[in-house]
Amino acid sequence: MHTYEIFLKKDGRDEYRHAGALDAATDDLAMVMARESYIRRAEGDRLWLVRRDHVIVADPDLIAPNADKPHRHHDGSAVAARRKALRNEGASS
Amino acid sequence: MAAFEAFLDDGGIVEVDDDMPAEYRQAVFAFIEMHANSELMGGLTERDWIPRTPGLRHKMSVLAKTQDEIGHGHLLYMVAADMQIKTREEMLEDLFAGKSRFHNVFHYQAVTWGDQVAIAFLVDAAALASQQAVFKNCSYGPYRRILKRIISEEGFHMRLGEDRMMRIAQGTDTQKEIFQGALDRWFWPALQLFGPDSKPDDVLLRWHIKSERNEVLRDKWVQKFVPMLQSYGFTVPAPDLSYDEEAGKWDVGPIDWEPLKRTLAQGGPDSARRINEAKDNWERTRWVRDAMDRAAAVPA
Repeated sequence: MHTYEIFLKKDGRDEYRHAGALDAATDDLAMVMARESYIRRAEGDRLWLVRRDHVIVADPDLIAPNADKPHRHHDGSAVAARRKALRNEGASS
Repeated sequence: MAAFEAFLDDGGIVEVDDDMPAEYRQAVFAFIEMHANSELMGGLTERDWIPRTPGLRHKMSVLAKTQDEIGHGHLLYMVAADMQIKTREEMLEDLFAGKSRFHNVFHYQAVTWGDQVAIAFLVDAAALASQQAVFKNCSYGPYRRILKRIISEEGFHMRLGEDRMMRIAQGTDTQKEIFQGALDRWFWPALQLFGPDSKPDDVLLRWHIKSERNEVLRDKWVQKFVPMLQSYGFTVPAPDLSYDEEAGKWDVGPIDWEPLKRTLAQGGPDSARRINEAKDNWERTRWVRDAMDRAAAVPA
C-alpha cells in the first residue's frame, strides 16, 4: 500500500493544485480511485498523482538562513521619503 | 490553428505537455530563449562589478542581484528546454557561438559605477515593464509562473537603482558628472530595449505572449523617466526633447534604430568581448558542473 498525493488542474487556466491524498496498492488503482474521489463532478480536467514517499521534504533548518538576508530586499523608503518631500514642496509653493 | 487561437483568446493557458501548433511552440521558445540568454549575460555583467562596487552595503546588494540574475537564467533555460526544441547545452552553445540573441543593452560596456547605477535604474525598469506586460496575459503557463517570481526580484533591482541614483544626485559635482556621462550612454539603449513599433501582425501579441504593443510600453517609460531624471537634476540626452502642454506628454524625437539592429547582429560596441567572456566563464566553471554531476557516485 502506498499513499498518493493528488494534484488537479482545471479549465486550461489554473496551475496544478494540491487537492488531497489517498491510499492504494498500485498506481493504476490509485488513478481510478482519484478519479472517483476527486473529480466526480469534473473538478479538474487534468490529474497528477505523486507517491508521497517520492516527495523530498526540506528540513526547516536548511531553509531558515534565507529568512535573514536583508541585503536581498530593498524597501525603497529613502526614495519614497524624497518623493513625499517633493510633493509637499509642490503643495506649499 | 483557429480553434487554438480561440482557446487563447478565451484566456486559455498552454502547458508543456499540451498539443500546440508548431509555430506557437517555436515563437514562444525563441522569446524565452532570448530572455534566458539576457538574464545570463546581465548576471555576468553584474558579477564583474562585485569587486568594484563602492561600499559594503552596495556590494552585498550587487551579490544578491548577481545571484538573482543567474537564477533567472536557470529558471528560464529550464522552461525553454522543456519545450524540446533545443537542449540547455544547445542553447548555451548557440549563445557562445553568437548564433542566438540577447537584449541590446548587454552589448554595451559599463564603464563606471555611474553606468551600473544607470543600468539598474533605466534598463531594469525597461526590462521590468516589458516582463510585466508579458506576465499580465501570458498564454504559456510555465513561463507565466516563472515570470511572477522574476518580476518580484526585478522590482528589488529597480528600487535599488533609484536609491543609488538618489545618492549620486545628492553627491559631489564629480559624482553628478559621472552619472550624467552614464546617462548619456544608457538612455537610448534602455529606450531601444522596447524595440521598434510592433507590427500589426505580431504573432506574440496575437498569441497572448505580449499583452501590449512595443510603442505603448516605450512611451509609458518615456513619460515616467524623463521627468524623473529631470527632478534629480540630470539632463535627458535627447536634443529634440519636447513637451506637449496640451497633451501633457514628453516626446524624445525621432529614434535611431540602427544601434539596435547592430546589437541584434552581434555587432554592438561590446558584443564580441561579452560573448567571449561568457564562453570563457562557461569553460572555467566546467569543473563545478562536472563535480555536481558526479555527486551521485560519491558515497553519502
